[in-house]
Amino acid sequence: MSATYAAAATLEEALTAMRAGCRPVAGGTDLVVGARQGKSALPDALVAIHGLAGLHGIAELPGGGLRIGALVSHADLVDHRAVRSRYTALADASAIVGSHATRHVGTIGGNVMNASPAMETGGPLMCMGAEAVLASAAGERRLGLDALLTGPGSTAARPDELLVAIELPPPAAAAGSCYARLEYRRQMEIAVVGATCSVSLDGPRVAAALVAITALTPCIMRVPAAEAALAGSDGGAEAIRTAGDAAAAAAKPISDVRASAEYRRAMAAVIARRAIATAIARARDGSESVPIPASPALHGATD
Amino acid sequence: MAIVEERREPFIRQDGKDKVTGLGRYTADLTRTGMLHARFRYADHPHARLLGVDTSRARALAGVFAVLTQDDVPDVRYGGFVEDRTLFARDVVRFEGEIVAAVAALTPEIAERAVELIEVDYEPLEAVSDPEHALRDGTILVHDGWEGYEANEDLVRRGNDCSRSTIAKGDVEAGMAEAEVTVKERYVADMSHAVPIEPRAIVAEWQGDKVTVWTSTQVPFIARSGIATTLQLPEADVRVIVPHLGGGFGGKCEFHFEAHVAALARAAARPVRLVFTRREEFIAPDHRREGQVVEIETGAMRDGTLVARRARLVLDNGAYAADAPFFPQLAAMMVVGPYRIPHVSVDAHLAYTNTTPSGSVRAPTAPQACWALEQHMDAVAEAVGMDPVELRRRNIVREGDESATRQVFTPIAAAETLERAVEMIGYGRDLPEDEAIGVACGWWPSFAMPSGAHVKLHGDGSGTIVTGAQECGTGSVMALPLLAAEVLGMRPEQFTVVYQDTDAGPWDAGASGSQTTFNNGRAVVAAAVDVRDQLLELAEEVLEAARADLELAGGRVQVKGSPTTGVEIADLAEKAAGDKLLLGRGSGSPAPLPECDPSGCTGRLGMESFLAPTFITHAARCKVDRATGVVRVLEVAAAHDSGRVLNRVGADGQVEGGVAMGIGMALSEGSQLSADGRQLNAYLLDYKLQTASDVPSIQVDWVGAPDPNGGPNGAKAVAEPPCVPTPGAVGNAIAKIAGRVHQLPMTPLRVWETMQR
Amino acid sequence: MRYDAVLNVNGTDYPVEIEPGRSLLSVVRTELGLAGSKEGCDDSECGACMMLLDGRPVNSCSYLALQAQGRAIVTVEGLTSGGELHPLQRQFLEQGGVQCGFCTPGMLISAKALLDQNPDPTDDEIRLALSGNLCRCTGYQGIVRAVQAAAAEMAVGPSR
Repeated sequence: MSATYAAAATLEEALTAMRAGCRPVAGGTDLVVGARQGKSALPDALVAIHGLAGLHGIAELPGGGLRIGALVSHADLVDHRAVRSRYTALADASAIVGSHATRHVGTIGGNVMNASPAMETGGPLMCMGAEAVLASAAGERRLGLDALLTGPGSTAARPDELLVAIELPPPAAAAGSCYARLEYRRQMEIAVVGATCSVSLDGPRVAAALVAITALTPCIMRVPAAEAALAGSDGGAEAIRTAGDAAAAAAKPISDVRASAEYRRAMAAVIARRAIATAIARARDGSESVPIPASPALHGATD
Repeated sequence: MAIVEERREPFIRQDGKDKVTGLGRYTADLTRTGMLHARFRYADHPHARLLGVDTSRARALAGVFAVLTQDDVPDVRYGGFVEDRTLFARDVVRFEGEIVAAVAALTPEIAERAVELIEVDYEPLEAVSDPEHALRDGTILVHDGWEGYEANEDLVRRGNDCSRSTIAKGDVEAGMAEAEVTVKERYVADMSHAVPIEPRAIVAEWQGDKVTVWTSTQVPFIARSGIATTLQLPEADVRVIVPHLGGGFGGKCEFHFEAHVAALARAAARPVRLVFTRREEFIAPDHRREGQVVEIETGAMRDGTLVARRARLVLDNGAYAADAPFFPQLAAMMVVGPYRIPHVSVDAHLAYTNTTPSGSVRAPTAPQACWALEQHMDAVAEAVGMDPVELRRRNIVREGDESATRQVFTPIAAAETLERAVEMIGYGRDLPEDEAIGVACGWWPSFAMPSGAHVKLHGDGSGTIVTGAQECGTGSVMALPLLAAEVLGMRPEQFTVVYQDTDAGPWDAGASGSQTTFNNGRAVVAAAVDVRDQLLELAEEVLEAARADLELAGGRVQVKGSPTTGVEIADLAEKAAGDKLLLGRGSGSPAPLPECDPSGCTGRLGMESFLAPTFITHAARCKVDRATGVVRVLEVAAAHDSGRVLNRVGADGQVEGGVAMGIGMALSEGSQLSADGRQLNAYLLDYKLQTASDVPSIQVDWVGAPDPNGGPNGAKAVAEPPCVPTPGAVGNAIAKIAGRVHQLPMTPLRVWETMQR
Repeated sequence: MRYDAVLNVNGTDYPVEIEPGRSLLSVVRTELGLAGSKEGCDDSECGACMMLLDGRPVNSCSYLALQAQGRAIVTVEGLTSGGELHPLQRQFLEQGGVQCGFCTPGMLISAKALLDQNPDPTDDEIRLALSGNLCRCTGYQGIVRAVQAAAAEMAVGPSR
């Protein structure tokens, strides 16, 4: 049980507290649940950061990118027009986190820094070239998501560093993205298999593609072989199938109560194909399809 | 023809306002002055010899007021069918949730720390988690002293086989030889759980030698007996009160932890409260739905006539018998099903294992056995080349037909449920290629049990029903005023109900076996009739009319045919107050089991014939994602024969909830066990209940007529039947798209694996 | 150590002393005596503890009480006004949305959060919005009926 608590009024206060050994708490969805389940006790010293105005809000960056404050909730992301239209995979992911309550309380910063191999937003951020902005008393630094995530539950952030924002570069022209997840129920799920694809088109052909897999490896990771299979292709069924197979081949699945390794690997291909096909379709029609949990588009309609 | 009581006004349950305002109190909401908090120390091994328990460090911890082990309570063995257990482990622990010691402390945190400080010395033993393995000769015995246990004389026991039942009719060998087609299959159902949303809670407080226990039980009188037996107290010294009960579904049947908390409160000389965590609710409550292995074979003629049925069932008893010993006989009846079959041989076993004990959970044995049977029926239909609905139509029992135990059916509406369900769902219509409709039929008995009630009218004409019946959410107790009001010509809103207090109401079997309306309803009617007779006697004088010419209606006693000549019941009640008490009592005698010929049965525990049997057909339209094996149930039609339906909103709610539970059993609810019998998914993220967005629209209809052997005005059981055929219907829909899945729950993984074969 | 805090619940300020690790649910149930919100699990899976925090639903079992300072908290006890049931509460009763009642407080809170945002939800929107609240009794159908009926009633005003 935690011994001390302070609510930071300014970023400086938060960073000072963290340098003194405090751990930050935003929505508490992972932290408090983890402690109640006995996974890891609440830290001795907590600094609450939910009131830091500078960490809220989504802002357009000069040049077309987006800066997402670490305290932006999943619900805020789903509701944000630019996220939905230009970073659709991120909206897909945020739309299917837990329940309405989790989506209102859970923040993107908490989701990323919890560093679960099953986190929903990690794959989309990775495929969008996101950078994590880490602040400490010593200043700011930026890390790509693949550099930030170092293992299950661990990141490259130092104990005194606070994630203050995620910055997304502008998407390429004629781009589309999708995050798809294997879902046993329509809500209240956790990723057993997830996949993200972000593509840009050059006329009828795929100019470039980024593909990442979720919950299939100790860290969410990109799948270069899948990306290579798509780049320059017509984005048709064969290219998508090759890319899906590459995603499956890159998986290092485990067997546990949620699925067998064999099933996870097979689903890696299926879910990757769905994410890729939807990303390409979105790039082609420029649609702003608003993702809702368990959107029919992601459940068999496109396979 | 449906017999449904339609009311113009919505019937608002009396406990409803308490529940929607948040002001109603459940057991975990109660506090008492000086109250301590209880925690249990559970077995660290699923099977081990207990060499020693050292509680000294726990006792020494500041804030700890009591630490108990079996040495601190009377050394009493208990159990309804087999006296195979003690309050705390003695000598051996037999499952992961077995209680070794209990602590009462100032705060839950101190209690938790104290529990961790208890040192237990074990000699681990081989743990048996597979019930089929448990029955093999040479397997380690879960109870090596089983022969010495006191047990029901009708039980057939041997080693790990805690209860064996058989049904035999005709000559199954000859029947199989005569059959033109035989189909033999094997189905396996994993164990699952009741999962009430309220985790159980108990508060105990002593006043002198008497103890009051507030507990989230479905069966207060049985809990009282358990406390009295294990703590060696007269029942009169034990008062059990149930605050609002947050669901049970069988998981809160029987006697569980009330005596532990009462013993802690006595030792600590303080009130003590126990509140379970969700994990404890999975591993400890010793009342989960048993796993089953069903080997089933059917012989049929090419025209679809069923000729012979052979089956062997192995049911997982878990570590203690609880109320499960009647399961083999009930499951045997379930795999015969509501069908005419001349030659039958079923052999069913209940195997002790080192897992959480099984016990009655909503329609015990039936959803699993019915799931196996009804998928098998579709497999038989396929083998004879017939539509599965047509196969059922040709074999389903009708009036005058005879069961496997030669019970002859009085008027029933089994066939009508089939026709109505397929009509509602539009069976046979064109569907997308990834959708299909599955159909399953089932049956379930009504249980006759003793039950009592008082009805009293107060001086102002309002009334109180005092009953021993227990409300677990279904609304059956809340509907009792409808019955009293009907008899007395009053409005149900004029009655309050005193219930779930063993010091107030007469004995009742509790919220179990769908029996409240069936049995307590009859008692309330009898008590109301008693009051009616007293009112008529008073009215005779006032109206100077012969009793036979009087009737009760609209809150008055009036002369038949001359309603203006009458007297208000309130006026009669006022007249009676201070003179004659208007107090009625009723018990109503339970109807005997229907006649049958059980000569072919062994292990007879009262399930060989079905009193006032209910019949059900469910039809489910499902969509299978062929790439992932994920199944969505898109629509369910449920047609039920429960005789007369007393309260439509309440009865529909039972069906809607039962179907949702059935879909959960079909698709997602199953415990996964380690090799030594520990539950691996004892939490709600990975033991998946269906959410609001998973459960589809459910159409409900009622067919059939009042049953002469039924409860009030011909009512039959309502609460348990709705979850019986749903998993089978879903399974049959899946099979049409993905192939037949032989293990329950039919998870995406298992559906996908089926498609890979 | 304990911290002085003021929690505003259902419009009333409650001064409390709270340890940092205490959940909002635990404080509201035991310190404030508002026991309507229930605890059904340990991990935000059942929704029985749902409260509104500045109008948004939160699983209070997994939210630190100290972080709720300065926010408007609404529990099931705050749904009635002037002794009158909220249309949702009344429709839950009339449409068979209540059986054992243990999920009801959280379910009502989720339903209110939905109708506050979306006064005319479709059947599927209702089901999605209530998916964080497990009910074992009703199969959800009576609850969905109740939310639809309450939405209709709130759109046109009470019918009686």
